[in-house]
Amino acid sequence: MIAEIKAILHICAVLLFSPLLLGIIAKTKAFFAGRKGQPILQTYYDIVKLFCKGNVYSTTTTWIFQAAPIVFFASMLAVSLVIPLGSMHAPFEFWGDFLAFAYILGIAKFFMILAALDTGSSFEGMGASREAIFSCFSEIVLFLDFIVLGLLSGHFMISEMITGGIVSSWKFSGSELLLVTVSFFLVLLAENARIPIDDPDTHLELTMVHEVMVLDHSGLDLGYIIYASAVKLFIFCALLVMMVMPCGQAPWIKNVFFVCGMIVLAVLIGIVESSMARLRLNRVPQVLTSAFVVALIALLVVLTKMTL
Amino acid sequence: MMLFVSSILVLSISAIMLLLTAKSKIINACIFLFSLIFGCILFTIPSLDSLIHLTTMKWRMHSNMPIGEIFIGIDPLSSIFLLSSAVLFSLAGIYGYGYLKDSPNSKTRVHYAFYQLLLVSLLLVVTAKNAILFLIAWELMTLCAYFMIVYDDEKSAVRNAGYLYLIAAHAGTFFLWAMFLIMYQYTGSFNFDQMANVSLPLAISGLIFAFGLIGFGVKAGFIPLHIWLPHAHPVAPSHISAILSGILIKSGIYGILRIIAIIKIFPEWCAIALLVIGMISGIGGVLYALGQHEIKKLLAYHSIENIGIIAFGMGMGLWGQIHQLQFVSIIGYAGALLHVFNHSIFKGLLFLSAGSVIHSTHTGEIDRLGGLLKLMPWTGHLFLIGSLSICGFPFFNGFISEWLVYRSLFEGALNSNLGVLVIISTGIVSLALIGGLAAACFSKAFGVIFLGTNRSKGHDNVKEQSWLLLVPMFVLGAICVWIGMFPSTMVSFSLNAAASVYGKPLSSLERSTVIGPFVTVSTLLLILFCITVILFLLKKRATRMLPARRAKTWGCGYHEPTSRMQYTASSFAQPLLSVFRNVLGYKTKGTGLQGYFPEEKEASSHIVESSETFLFRPLFSFIEFLATKLKNIQYGHTQLYLLYFLIFLLTLLTWKMN
Repeated sequence: MIAEIKAILHICAVLLFSPLLLGIIAKTKAFFAGRKGQPILQTYYDIVKLFCKGNVYSTTTTWIFQAAPIVFFASMLAVSLVIPLGSMHAPFEFWGDFLAFAYILGIAKFFMILAALDTGSSFEGMGASREAIFSCFSEIVLFLDFIVLGLLSGHFMISEMITGGIVSSWKFSGSELLLVTVSFFLVLLAENARIPIDDPDTHLELTMVHEVMVLDHSGLDLGYIIYASAVKLFIFCALLVMMVMPCGQAPWIKNVFFVCGMIVLAVLIGIVESSMARLRLNRVPQVLTSAFVVALIALLVVLTKMTL
Repeated sequence: MMLFVSSILVLSISAIMLLLTAKSKIINACIFLFSLIFGCILFTIPSLDSLIHLTTMKWRMHSNMPIGEIFIGIDPLSSIFLLSSAVLFSLAGIYGYGYLKDSPNSKTRVHYAFYQLLLVSLLLVVTAKNAILFLIAWELMTLCAYFMIVYDDEKSAVRNAGYLYLIAAHAGTFFLWAMFLIMYQYTGSFNFDQMANVSLPLAISGLIFAFGLIGFGVKAGFIPLHIWLPHAHPVAPSHISAILSGILIKSGIYGILRIIAIIKIFPEWCAIALLVIGMISGIGGVLYALGQHEIKKLLAYHSIENIGIIAFGMGMGLWGQIHQLQFVSIIGYAGALLHVFNHSIFKGLLFLSAGSVIHSTHTGEIDRLGGLLKLMPWTGHLFLIGSLSICGFPFFNGFISEWLVYRSLFEGALNSNLGVLVIISTGIVSLALIGGLAAACFSKAFGVIFLGTNRSKGHDNVKEQSWLLLVPMFVLGAICVWIGMFPSTMVSFSLNAAASVYGKPLSSLERSTVIGPFVTVSTLLLILFCITVILFLLKKRATRMLPARRAKTWGCGYHEPTSRMQYTASSFAQPLLSVFRNVLGYKTKGTGLQGYFPEEKEASSHIVESSETFLFRPLFSFIEFLATKLKNIQYGHTQLYLLYFLIFLLTLLTWKMN
């Protein structure tokens, strides 16, 4: 029974705090642009507003178009159950939870791609095509990062990989952990449609990826999608923060570190977004390739250390 | 064992009846279907028994034929292949009856007969305990499959694909003969059990493995030996494509595993060769698939991809076996074997539903289809289940077997030395890449064929197929979901089968560490499902208050969107293909439009099959060149040929005298 309550609390925490990150990012960007910016809780208002609106469906679409936002949102919430938050353990810890993580993310993407193709619009088809190709690249970087973390910790379980013995070894294997963190940060930017990979603020350019895929969604469905994207960003940020967290501390230090880390990371994303322009589309695979190379160097360092 | 022998008898007698006696169409169909299903049930019983209790059954019959004795046996390894044959053959048979209902009797009668014979020969291949019997059954299987492929033999493309298959298969068999002869040379027996008792020097077992890899690899479709596959699959009737891809190519996998089970000790490069082949076939298969415009050709390339995944599992299994890492080894083999079973289920489903699409619309060109989910809802949803399974998504069976393969790779990574670790890490990354590319490919296939609007005229009256075609697909789809949600049964079956390759079963503690995570994943998936239902109910409540409106797809200000303005499959795949253009030989023809009022222009894209163009075509034209030279001694006089014969005998005689 306690496990169930913990799982529900976990999901509630994720639901409660995830839109906040978007607010912090927006505030940071506004600061750099010299504006006052929207309120920090704006994403909550947007979601509530969308939840109160009706849907408009294209006549070409089938049930898949209507199901995709639900699948996306539900997958993100389910995936959050394998991520530890601060001193809270993940409700689900088992061998290969990172595989479940990657493949449930995959099923969410698959349905969003199908929904985009379902509208029969060439814009959304374009977005779907790009989403499919970029996911391939970011997935392999993600796996390479997991391999490195797994080899360092000797376990293939997210909780062991990022909170277990390895992080005490920042002292001993700082270089490879730094490299993994950098490549994971790039994956985070790509997966969550942030600049320089994709621009979350505009809809109507031919170069968009995620945003153009959801052109035809409206009302409650769009609310689900925005909420799900916020949860996705939260999950990735949480993973990254847990990765750099020093271990063996008291729970309250962990929690404080976690909260501060999330805020710092959101500010960091805001800074990256303010200081860079969005890259040309054909540059995106190159960014992801460089993330791959960074992770590969980390792997090589680990391998050399293992043989020495 | 008697049940198994009687199933062979039932199937062969019905095949002979169908071949020799001319009866009305309906009686033929009855004979075919009843004997097929009865035969399948008969041989499923002993194979299930063997899988559950880890038993081995043997049956031998002495004969005066040069092959010595007829010696067959069922062990868990054969049983898992028998099980997938039973499922797919019976269901594809029912589908095939519905598919060919309108064809002339004379044609279908022969087709049914060879279908039964193919099953008989396959049963013999996976149970033969004697090398000669194995090779005879193997040849019989090749020939029967040839007759199945050339069903529409009035078309020249079909005949050519058939020839290509026949040549490739025979070239492969040549290597198998050589392999078994070497084994005979060193063990002094054609009997598998006796061969297993002799330990071979490493160099010889490596040589045997290399021959087996080529001989069986042609059947299995390892790149670059796969060239027959993408030609033969599209031209065969769809239920035959399902059999070819689901069962026939797996006989190559069976062969390799059988050789491993017999010889047991190999040099390490064999395992590494399997892993490398897995990478090449996996990534190559899915990339070629992305570039295809024809649905069955696309599925054929995906078979190569899945064979690659199976090769990963076998490679880790063999590697673990060489290094005495039982856990890694058995999980690797189990992953490969379960993927063999799963692939036959979901690929069967995909081929059958693709066949229904082709049957209804008379075209397999992806870019001419679209919006079929509304016209053929059952077929469409079944194709979706197949797609989700083949991409390895949770809830479906592909996830389970890929999980096992991943697990053996990760567990192996923790136990290996530097050189192998590099290969294993590359393997993990390529498996992840294969997953991503497969998802891209099937979102393209499903999205373009079944979603959006129709791309060509005349498809408005497309109808759903009859229940005869739908029921087999339903069963296959149900199996996909069953294994995906409740994997313990099939996982323990495949662990048993893997144990019979390795020679020793896992302890019950180790078994529970394999099956344990699956139970947790199922719980997680159940929670996912519950959240989905909750979100759906919330949405339903909201829409009750504010009903949804219907409107046209937003065209960014353009008011009359037509179906031709949709994204096509070619354009969907273009960015990925152009990233890999150098590997694939991706070519586009036709240039961009110019001016304000451009003329009508055509554009097309295709990929070059490099192993066909750069390896086999030059090789065969060289052989042809040599053969033309030999023509000089060919005069067409029988007397002269007799003289050649005599000279040859004399030479042999003098050689032997010395």
